Amino acid sequence: MKKIILLAFTFIFMMNLLNAQTYKTRDGYVYFNPNKDLTHKDYEAASKEGTGILKAETGEVAFLVPMKTFHFNNALLEEHFNENYLESNKFPDARFSGKLIGFSKDQLTKDGVYNISSEGKVTMHGVTKDFKAPVKLEVKGKVATFYCNFKISAEDHGINIPGLVKPKLADLTPIDATIKFQLN
Amino acid sequence: MKKIVLYLIVACCFLVKASAQDDLLKDLVKDDSAKVKHDFATATFKSTRIINMQSVEMTGAGNLQFMISHRFGQIWKEGKGWTNVAQLFGLNAGAANTYMSFEYAPKSWLNLGFAATGNAQLESWAKFRLIRQQSGAKNVPVTVSLFSSVHFDGSDGPSPDDFAWNRFSYLNQLLIGRKFNDKFSLQLIPSWIHYNMVPYGINNTNNVFSIGIGGRYKLTHKTAISFEYARQLNGYKDLLDESASAVNYVPDLVSIGYDWDTGGHIFQFFFTSSNAATNIAQLAQNTNDLRLGNFSLGFNLNRSYGIKKVVNTP
Repeated sequence: MKKIILLAFTFIFMMNLLNAQTYKTRDGYVYFNPNKDLTHKDYEAASKEGTGILKAETGEVAFLVPMKTFHFNNALLEEHFNENYLESNKFPDARFSGKLIGFSKDQLTKDGVYNISSEGKVTMHGVTKDFKAPVKLEVKGKVATFYCNFKISAEDHGINIPGLVKPKLADLTPIDATIKFQLN
Repeated sequence: MKKIVLYLIVACCFLVKASAQDDLLKDLVKDDSAKVKHDFATATFKSTRIINMQSVEMTGAGNLQFMISHRFGQIWKEGKGWTNVAQLFGLNAGAANTYMSFEYAPKSWLNLGFAATGNAQLESWAKFRLIRQQSGAKNVPVTVSLFSSVHFDGSDGPSPDDFAWNRFSYLNQLLIGRKFNDKFSLQLIPSWIHYNMVPYGINNTNNVFSIGIGGRYKLTHKTAISFEYARQLNGYKDLLDESASAVNYVPDLVSIGYDWDTGGHIFQFFFTSSNAATNIAQLAQNTNDLRLGNFSLGFNLNRSYGIKKVVNTP
């Protein structure tokens, strides 16, 4: 009896350990170019300070980018982005939480490229929307890199774009995220 | 009994597992690395100027800002009666001062500027940001910048063959600004003006001091009301020049303005009690009495260009 309880507790402990097999990153890269004509680069911006967490066992992921870490080539645009559009003091970050579909932790142990997808929720500018996008996972040595290109509608997230700028911008903003996890 | 305990324990396992699922994002939010380390106060003012004076706002790194600013004639000159109306309240009085400036930011904390204004007046300056208002890892309540400018008078003065050295004057200002909330910002501006040469006479001084305060209140994301007041502390009363004529300057400089940010440009429209274009003349050689009619209409219009790529993009 005692043995079984002990065994069971060890089991719980092990389970938790397995559960706790999470990977974290602090240098997730997010890039967007909202121009209708993508050869125009005037409104492009990037952040390389996204933080992410991946739970290998369940394929759950969460990702967060502070709005103020997005940088533009024109400092004035950056100011407008934070002050007028995203209201970064009120809504300091963009968040994603969800699941990887078609992902298994075995993929992390074998080098290769895997086409999977992701589903979840994105919260930006105080508005939460369902999210679904294909993801490319590249495992090489001790690094797993997730590439995700998806589109977000500023309008859906309550971001008001004035009429003067609107004709220059695409209705859906394409966003590239590159999130690298160091596997150990 | 054994079995029950076992079941309970297995159930426990699943519970632990289930509860762990929801907290991933919460963990991330709690994690320090997910927060901005230094949350700097941005956009304390709309423009690099409050109205006449420099603000703590800097042109961004790698950006070139072009500014053109105008100060028209007094809106109602005493004794001119209806001529004032015909001259569209100073707009068309034949006395407008134009000020054109270029500012470049080689570093985020450094702006270098060059400006030219009427009657061969040239100016060059540097603005250094010393301290930035921020919260987070460090708490700093104010932004402090040092503004230092050199003014050269290239006009045909009383003695054109004067030493060039005598035509220089300098302005040093400390800009101490605080963004109190999203809408309201205030700035304190102590100034020190130095003339290399002053007319030979009584009460003239090479060093003039002034203290100013400026602020803005945002009405919407794109518009704001701004105000400025500066008081000259010395060197304005009963100055006698070499020909023994008395000069009295007005120590008060009052301005009120309206900022309009169009996205690409920033327009600042204002009424100010001096129609001089340079800071030195506004602060230390203001001849307009504080009377409503003496105010003049003016505007600053600036646009900045990102001329150097500072962001790592594909």
